[in-house]
Amino acid sequence: MSTTTDASSIPEAGAAERRPRSGGPAGTDAAKPRKGGRELLASLPWIGPALILIFGVVLFPAVVMFYNSTRDISISGLDKGSVGFDNYIEVFTFPYFWPIFGRTIVWVVVVVAATVVISLGLAQILNKAFPGRRIVRLAVIIPWAASVVMTTMVVYYGLEPYFGIINKFLVDVGLIATPEGYGWTRNPETAFAWSIVVAVFVSLPFTTYTILAGLATVPGDVLEAAKMDGAGPVRTYFNVVLPQLRGALSVAVLINIINVFNSLPILKVMTGSIPGYDADTIMTMIFKYIQNQHKVDVASALSVVAFLIVIVIVAVYVKVVKPMKEV
Amino acid sequence: MKKSLRFGSAIAIAAAASLTLASCGFGGGTGDGGDTSGKTTLDLLVPTYDPDNTQGNWETVIDGFEAANPDIDVKLEVQSWDNLESVIATKIQGGEAPDIYNGGPFAGFAADELLYPAEEVVSAETFSDFQESFIANAEVDGTAYALPLIASARALFVNNTLLEQAGVAAPPTTWDELLDAATKVSALGGGVAGYGMPLGSEEAQAEAAVWLWGGGGTFGDADAITVDDPANLPGAEQIKKMIDAGATQADPGSTDRSPLMDIFVQGKIGMQVGLPPTVGQIEEGNPELDYSIVPIPTQDGSPITVGVMDQLMAFENDGDKQEAITKFLDYYYTADVYVPWVQAEGFLPVTKSGAEALGGEEALQPFLEVLPDAQFYPSTNPAWSATDAAFKALFGQIQTKPAQEVLTEIQAQADAG
Amino acid sequence: MAVTAPAFETIPAPATSARKRRYTEDQVPFGKVLVRMVAGLIVLLVFILPYVIMFFGSVKTKAQIRSVDPTYFPTEWHWENYINMWSTPETPLVQNLISTIIISVFATLLVLLVAMPAAYYTARMQFPGRMVFLFLVIVTQMLQPAVLTSGLFRQFVTLGMIDTWAAMIFINAAFNLSFAVWIMHSFFAGIPKEVDEAAQIDGAGRLTVLFRINLPLVWPGIVTAIVFTFVACWNEFAASLVILSTAGNQPLSVALTKFVGQYETSWHYVFGVSIVAIIPVVILFMIIEKRLVGGLTAGSVK
Repeated sequence: MSTTTDASSIPEAGAAERRPRSGGPAGTDAAKPRKGGRELLASLPWIGPALILIFGVVLFPAVVMFYNSTRDISISGLDKGSVGFDNYIEVFTFPYFWPIFGRTIVWVVVVVAATVVISLGLAQILNKAFPGRRIVRLAVIIPWAASVVMTTMVVYYGLEPYFGIINKFLVDVGLIATPEGYGWTRNPETAFAWSIVVAVFVSLPFTTYTILAGLATVPGDVLEAAKMDGAGPVRTYFNVVLPQLRGALSVAVLINIINVFNSLPILKVMTGSIPGYDADTIMTMIFKYIQNQHKVDVASALSVVAFLIVIVIVAVYVKVVKPMKEV
Repeated sequence: MKKSLRFGSAIAIAAAASLTLASCGFGGGTGDGGDTSGKTTLDLLVPTYDPDNTQGNWETVIDGFEAANPDIDVKLEVQSWDNLESVIATKIQGGEAPDIYNGGPFAGFAADELLYPAEEVVSAETFSDFQESFIANAEVDGTAYALPLIASARALFVNNTLLEQAGVAAPPTTWDELLDAATKVSALGGGVAGYGMPLGSEEAQAEAAVWLWGGGGTFGDADAITVDDPANLPGAEQIKKMIDAGATQADPGSTDRSPLMDIFVQGKIGMQVGLPPTVGQIEEGNPELDYSIVPIPTQDGSPITVGVMDQLMAFENDGDKQEAITKFLDYYYTADVYVPWVQAEGFLPVTKSGAEALGGEEALQPFLEVLPDAQFYPSTNPAWSATDAAFKALFGQIQTKPAQEVLTEIQAQADAG
Repeated sequence: MAVTAPAFETIPAPATSARKRRYTEDQVPFGKVLVRMVAGLIVLLVFILPYVIMFFGSVKTKAQIRSVDPTYFPTEWHWENYINMWSTPETPLVQNLISTIIISVFATLLVLLVAMPAAYYTARMQFPGRMVFLFLVIVTQMLQPAVLTSGLFRQFVTLGMIDTWAAMIFINAAFNLSFAVWIMHSFFAGIPKEVDEAAQIDGAGRLTVLFRINLPLVWPGIVTAIVFTFVACWNEFAASLVILSTAGNQPLSVALTKFVGQYETSWHYVFGVSIVAIIPVVILFMIIEKRLVGGLTAGSVK
């Protein structure tokens, strides 16, 4: 939205915007803080319910998480007192921590990048008129509608040696020599690669639909104008359509980054039977601390670390991409 | 519009109230007795053994109990094994432990002084009906804190057809014979594997026990965990020998037990260690399978089996339900109630009266026979839970890493708690 | 966007003319349409493939699912699985379905009600703390659900709301609010400000502007937010697992785990229930997708 003027540059549009700026021409130093407070107050009826709902529910568990990360919690869940930063020390001295950290970054970058590129293409196909488009659009929604666990489960069983249908197919077309198939989910590298495939697959519907919705707001006459100017489809796409998608796309990417970073079920299912820590991300490591080792305290510490990592990622992203620039 | 605004503010108020309450409720649960009408409510948290049966089996027990004790309500919660332990940990953290819990490791709860001693929640009569060896496995410092519930023993399931095809005359009893037989069966080709070795995370500790104990090793006792012990090395090395010889299925280090058992049932695996419910699985999945159940081969051929016992535990909470818990457990362990329950789940009974009643069960015979030689996990050691986790997470690496290194790593993680 | 300040009085463009225009505009050669159809078909097949496998699994018997050397198509069709699964001893599936619907519908409504004004206001107005608000909201989404459950459990025990639908409605709404705010925010922000200003000159209040002028323009965004929220609530698992302990209160996502045993699993039911769980969401989408197309016409401000 390059043309919408930045709000700050509107020369005191107070005449039109009645409620928040009815205080008359602001500008004197004395009036400023009062005005800020008034504006904040005026915003409360609009954003207050959201704040109350979110913090009413989320604040307490979040505080518990931070609190638990400094406690010694027994395997049965009892709090045995404070241990300062010992849990954090355990997190960082774990010999596999840095490989896991690196894998987490690879996981997020690869999955989100592939998702966006494929979704842009998909949205182009689905935005074109052709008979049966509605059915195709409905099909694309299915991985979104289905639970991620179940989608992963089906792929997992398809990949099983002996009874997996995907393995059978690969054997039948001669890509695999062993008659029982290959243990895709039994080796860290292939299991991780397949996890990425599944993660991209289940991220596509949301991203594609956000882009489709964005495409729907591209004004028709702009496209016509570009056509008349003699712009080819490729140039029109990059010069006219993509900039218009910026708002929707940048938010979709942001949501994808957070979701993919926090995604547990796919890796949990696909790499669950593999010993060691060669296919883990931070999220599956948190899960292993809780589920296998019953270390809620260390899991909390790692969660806090993960939280800080994702905040940094998002802050950098927001800084660079500015998903809310147009306001 | 007006209406929805009002709804919005109602939500706002509710949420604000929740925030206030939450901030002063940091200390944990309030521990209500749940007894609004003078009735006592017992919360019962159990895992799913067999999806077709577990819920129904417990409901039968509860219905019978409630009919006899109208002043007690039993609230049943069934969870899958995957989720059981995180659910119980969450409940304990929230101060809402169930009154009765069916699980595996109990020493941690006992160490945290959360459990009633077993003798305080069953009558002397019921208590004396438990087989002594099982009670011994539920004791911490001489006091039993858990009630044996079911037992299982492992034995080797042998596909007679495959062994015959491979020219193996009799089921193996020693490691050398096993290696030889499995290699021959594997050589049949066509996706057939000689020995099914599930070292994946699902139940790595069981397969590890089969081999390490079979070579004279041990996981330790109530006082010390000894995984990194020279006595465990022969078994670990033998596992590598089996893998290197191609006597097992592909990727044993990351193969889980349940799917592998399905393949055995389908007749593609020569030999695999199974347990009582396996018999029912074969009956359901492939009744034509020609198989036999024999003792697990060991280094020198002396019989050994891995015994596993699950327990019931009674949590103290506020200490006001002891009487109701006792009533329920006494009812549950009467032979008329307990025997059909344990039979339907397909496991071995832990009471003397139950063993007597099921002594004639043909399907259970091979397991009842090996049970006297059963060794159990050191589950009375509070560190067992961490050891168990370490086995699940790390033991499969033996496929690629040196045996000694894996044992050392497991010991280190177990010691770290 | 060269066409700022369009004649927005005519925004609710007559559907017929818009529709006509869309098709006349797409006067494309038959060959091109064929290419599109082939591409569409490939997309369709890829996206339904896992669920076809799932469906085939759901009409097999327990033993057939785990049979070595599988067949691509089921050899027998056990449709009775779809009848029997409603009355298995494992879980009261009818109640689970009702629970899922109630929790998801009310949580989604709550999210819409709370998120829409916030998204609109932050997209339209400058006020101190606006960025802080948007960032705070998104921060809640970055917390790990797996670790939060124990705190949530304690909180709702204290509130006396444990094992209630209301608890799950609040939890689902709170954890999905941020994305809904952000999605809608980005769409509101896409509408030229002048649209509002002109309407306000005409004397319309903020709420009127929101509902009469803005909403029709951002339908695609709202639909996206609705679907996103609904689907997330529909499949929520981690919190439901610990908050809802009575079998009849639990949603389908938790009910599914009841078919998983220690050594064997009733996969045919797991697959069947999963298929059943997908259907309501697809139906919701079928209903709502028209709105997306409607938004498409309204969005092309002409």
